[in-house]
Amino acid sequence: MGEEGGGSVTLLCLTASSGVPLFCRSMGAPSKHQLPFSVIGSLNGVHMFGANLDVLLTAACTANSHVVWRVFHNSITLIVLSSEEGASDFALGRLLDNAFSAMVLILGLEELVNVRNIERLKKDLRVSGGIGECLEAFAGAAESRFGCLVAGGRLALATEPWWQLAPQELLLLSWLVGSLPPHAARDYPIYLPHGSPTVPHRLLTCQLLPGLEACLICGPRPALHTVETELVPRFWKPLLEPLQACVNPQPHSLPPGTTLPPGVLAFLLIHREQRSSQSSVQPPGSGGEGLSPKHRARALRHFYALVAARYFPWEGSPAPPQEPFQAGFPHRARHCYVVSATHKAYAIHAPQHQLFLLLAPHVPTFALRPLAARALQRLTGDAAC
Amino acid sequence: MAVSPGSVIVPDWHKSPEGKEYLATILRKNKRKFFGLIERPVLPPQMAADTASYKVFVSGKSGVGKTAMVAKLAGLEVPGAHHETTGIQTTTVYWPAKLRDSGRALIFRFHFWDCGEAALKKFDHILPACKEKADGILFLFSFTDRSSFDDLPSQISRVTGGSENLVKIVIGSKFDQFMHTDVTERDLAEFRRAWRLPVLRMKSVNGPRLADGRTLDGRAGLAHVAHVLNGLAEHLWYQDQVMAGLVPAPQPGTEDTSRC
Ligand SMILES: Nc1nc2c(ncn2[C@@H]2O[C@H](COP(=O)(O)OP(=O)(O)O)[C@@H](O)[C@H]2O)c(=O)[nH]1
Ligand SMILES: [Mg+2]
Repeated sequence: MGEEGGGSVTLLCLTASSGVPLFCRSMGAPSKHQLPFSVIGSLNGVHMFGANLDVLLTAACTANSHVVWRVFHNSITLIVLSSEEGASDFALGRLLDNAFSAMVLILGLEELVNVRNIERLKKDLRVSGGIGECLEAFAGAAESRFGCLVAGGRLALATEPWWQLAPQELLLLSWLVGSLPPHAARDYPIYLPHGSPTVPHRLLTCQLLPGLEACLICGPRPALHTVETELVPRFWKPLLEPLQACVNPQPHSLPPGTTLPPGVLAFLLIHREQRSSQSSVQPPGSGGEGLSPKHRARALRHFYALVAARYFPWEGSPAPPQEPFQAGFPHRARHCYVVSATHKAYAIHAPQHQLFLLLAPHVPTFALRPLAARALQRLTGDAAC
Repeated sequence: MAVSPGSVIVPDWHKSPEGKEYLATILRKNKRKFFGLIERPVLPPQMAADTASYKVFVSGKSGVGKTAMVAKLAGLEVPGAHHETTGIQTTTVYWPAKLRDSGRALIFRFHFWDCGEAALKKFDHILPACKEKADGILFLFSFTDRSSFDDLPSQISRVTGGSENLVKIVIGSKFDQFMHTDVTERDLAEFRRAWRLPVLRMKSVNGPRLADGRTLDGRAGLAHVAHVLNGLAEHLWYQDQVMAGLVPAPQPGTEDTSRC
């Protein structure tokens, strides 16, 4: 992120409701000059002003800088200002996602969604910024651009180039790390199916704590021994306590208090840009209605396979052959539903998300669409998904 | 070999009241405690002890039991089926022990380096990486595979290649299968005489489980491998002392005739 090239990147974090600044961080700036409070205030102000008029301000551009706004779970606003050449909305959006994920990694979603004590939160947040920076520094010292943290078998935080790996590679790598028996460290020759299918790279993993691994993709250097005995203690040991605190909560849980509309039996939510997903076959409020969790999972999987293969725009892998019926239309489906004797199912393809819902058979078919839209809104905590 | 079993480390110390207190730092409610790379066992102030860290390379042909042995020593589930290890994997094992001479308690930290034979042959960097700054090499053979025993001399010269100051220990794995053994006590005695290397025996099988029927009983698991951990500690510590000039180097011709 903050690489050579002159420009600087500033990240602002505020509470979404009241606009209280939580932290401000600069990277690559020649002198660590702090943004004046008035600038922070106006950057947040213009976004809030729009929100009050039902206008979502997502990005803005001047001759020499680029600003991107993002509100997470109606609770935390992150704003990034970049004067780096070639900063794109996409890359800056990703940076915001990473920053927020780093905050979740440390504090857990609950803490961030229900802010009770702002002073306390400010103090805790100082640490999470540290983890993202530490990951960058750790990867840098290992002469690698590809670094990530895997917590409980899930990708929790990664350097920008890591996110740029093919979606399938991202998945396979976290699965690999999550599925291997525990080891203090590994040095595995791997081939990246898209990026480097014939020349091996080294996947290095270091178990910082049980359930938390720092991973790197490297060339011939550095030696595993150096990474384990020098780099890991130098970069990660100072963060022992905050890291210990962050391996305990499950990063995939829904924010407490999230309820889905009645009749939702299971859901799969795909964050398209983040290339991550959340799912549950026993979402809060779904009770013991109808199908067993196992049957829900199977029905949802079938529905997903059907919709993803036939109707929704295909991402990542080569597109499957289209049905003659579909190929005859100039547009692509944005909504899909299926009605069967045991359940109904509804899918939405939105700009940033795909949502797949399994619903009880008693939900009226005409109510599926508004109900799914409401579910998407509650799951993403976002007015414009 | 100049070190006879029990001469450097007090063998059954882990069973004594004092030893049990130290053992408690690597157990939690009878389960083995696992430590990440940035953690270590926490000792109460009155039990303060130094940590002696050693890098140990585990060598031996495919299927001989390297991965199983490391898992057993670490208190992890021993995998039932054989999967070739596809790269290097390292494992840390902490073990408290008492030095006989000074009466001092130490925490040994063994860092085992295990790699698959195929990966070793396919990728040039693996063997040097495993040997880099290693303090010791374990040469494994299997009691159920005569050829792995016969291959020891060539394995030792192939892997060691002139690294003189390394501690070399031979480990006979699958000793629980002694009914089917292809390697006799006489073979071992002859080997020791010729090579003057210590030989330890290992049974890498999962021990008893706790009341939940799933979790391995960490205390029982440690009791099974205490002789191996003490054996490693003894030779590695002794070599350190020799290197530091604190004890005389082993005399050529001294022989270890004991049965570990
Ligand atoms: N009964 C018994 N089986 C063992 C022992 N050590 C290894 N094995 C089995 O032998 C097979 C190969 O072991 P493994 O450790 O994977 O071999 P590696 O290729 O040297 O790492 C596995 O099926 C193990 O379960 C042992 O001490 N006793
Ligand atoms: Mg193996």
